[in-house]
Amino acid sequence: MKTIQRFAYPIFFAVMAILPHVLDSRWQAVAITFLIFAVVALSQDIILGKSGMFNMGQALFFGLGAYTTAILNNEYGWSIIATIPLAILIPAVCGVLLAGPIVHLRGDYLLVTTIGFNIVFVQVVQNNLGGITGGPNGIFGLDSLSFYGIDLTSQVSVYYFAFAVLLLTLGIMRNLAGSKAGRAMHYLREDQLAAESIGINTRIYKIFAFALGAGIAGLAGTVFAVQYSAVSPEAFDFIQSVLFFSIVIVGGSSVPGVLIGVFVMFVLPEIFREFATWRFFIFGFAMIAAMILRPRGIIPATFGKIPKFLIKENNHGA
Amino acid sequence: MAHNELILTDVTKRFGGLTAVDALSFKVSAGQIYGIIGPNGAGKTTVFNCITGIYKSEQGSVKWRGEEIRGLTPYQIVDRGIVRTFQTIRLFSQMSVAENVMSGRHIKSKQKLWHGIVHSPWSKRDELANWHKVEEQLDFFNLSEFAAIPTGSLPYGIQRRVEMARAMAVDPTLLILDEPAAGLNDKETMELLQTIFKIRDKGVTVLLIEHDMDMVMEVTDYLTVINFGKKIAEGTPEAIQKDPAVIEAYLGSEDDDDE
Repeated sequence: MKTIQRFAYPIFFAVMAILPHVLDSRWQAVAITFLIFAVVALSQDIILGKSGMFNMGQALFFGLGAYTTAILNNEYGWSIIATIPLAILIPAVCGVLLAGPIVHLRGDYLLVTTIGFNIVFVQVVQNNLGGITGGPNGIFGLDSLSFYGIDLTSQVSVYYFAFAVLLLTLGIMRNLAGSKAGRAMHYLREDQLAAESIGINTRIYKIFAFALGAGIAGLAGTVFAVQYSAVSPEAFDFIQSVLFFSIVIVGGSSVPGVLIGVFVMFVLPEIFREFATWRFFIFGFAMIAAMILRPRGIIPATFGKIPKFLIKENNHGA
Repeated sequence: MAHNELILTDVTKRFGGLTAVDALSFKVSAGQIYGIIGPNGAGKTTVFNCITGIYKSEQGSVKWRGEEIRGLTPYQIVDRGIVRTFQTIRLFSQMSVAENVMSGRHIKSKQKLWHGIVHSPWSKRDELANWHKVEEQLDFFNLSEFAAIPTGSLPYGIQRRVEMARAMAVDPTLLILDEPAAGLNDKETMELLQTIFKIRDKGVTVLLIEHDMDMVMEVTDYLTVINFGKKIAEGTPEAIQKDPAVIEAYLGSEDDDDE
């Protein structure tokens, strides 16, 4: 497994780096979608997979980021790049405010509450609250990406923007795994009472997980708004949250697992478009089979790394 | 600062109509190995839960170094140097032995939340220093060879040692052990005795609940015997063994079908 990962990651990154140059424009769009949803699924993994909180409202934070970018660009004329800090910050702050009162709830209750938040969000943007969300049609005609006057209109540049966001997310998750905060999340997921009894303030780390997951999803929202030059309520519906939730559970809370999950959910349906309605029928069964055969996910979670100097005597150990 | 003393005064904990702990008072002095014994259902674990903040007692006071700790949360109590193990082992079972022990370093590590997103040279040094502390505990408890193995797949006796190593990684002043010998064989129990003495020699005060009478008599300096949540006797192991109230309530009950 270790050796597979050592080779698989560089190959994956290399393939992803040259991918837009070998694809036509339709498949470039599919690849961008893959990158965006991979980032959202990874952000969901921080909350659901790493910290074990049943969050069924990740599309809410994704949408908040997308709408922040869209509104600031459309109403106030900010450039897309300038909206990024707020597109991260607003979802993150909302993550803290929404999670604060509910993180003490047990799994299933938390799940229902987050569904509620997601539904409220979609209703708010659909009903054009405050007159800035554009109602059911959403907001369209956003500016394209530009950076210090250099216009990055082409789909290839959007692709690299999305790819950079994915790399950033993977970097954060790697740092998280080797830090006190990241381990605290694992501990509280495994046994909350034991975590408290060893000195971990679990509430802080649960809220931190929500804030971090929300911020990353918000950034993915910006990329989404850029790709379509538009945002609309149905893209952030509760059913999207269900998909992100399923990807993490079926994939198994590991980076390769989540990426495979996103590929299966969002890219395979594009490849098998001819089968139209049949594809979801097949994917439904595939999900059921995956959960029965591999209840901990296709590629199960591996926890934080331990330093090499601790593994010295393992070769003759148990 | 007052001595490292734990003083319970009239601690009472009720569950509905049941009084699990009834006006219990005792004092654990620095450097002692203090035992609490009593028949099943006497309220021993409830006392521990009241000390470590899992329950809040309705009445009475729990003073540690002269400070009232009743009503503090478990992690606040750990921060004051009191760490516990559980009767039913509660490890992070999918995680490796080293990671489990590392959880004890959580409260000592000074890393901030943002170090979870971006590392700094300082946070990397902090991380490494704590892993070296883990290494010390693994050596002390003879667990080095299991460092990378998930705890869930280890035998019971080793899991007990991992739990104690995790607690000791906090560098506690008071270590609370809830039935540390439960489920251990004779050889493992003997090793446990030696380990407890070694922990005491490091300057850590030990408070333990135990069922194994032979072990209690051998390891403890001082004992409190409780039954139905009330203290019925206290004293040195020798004195307790002769106490008629104890013999009747506890030792005598071995012949009965006491629940």
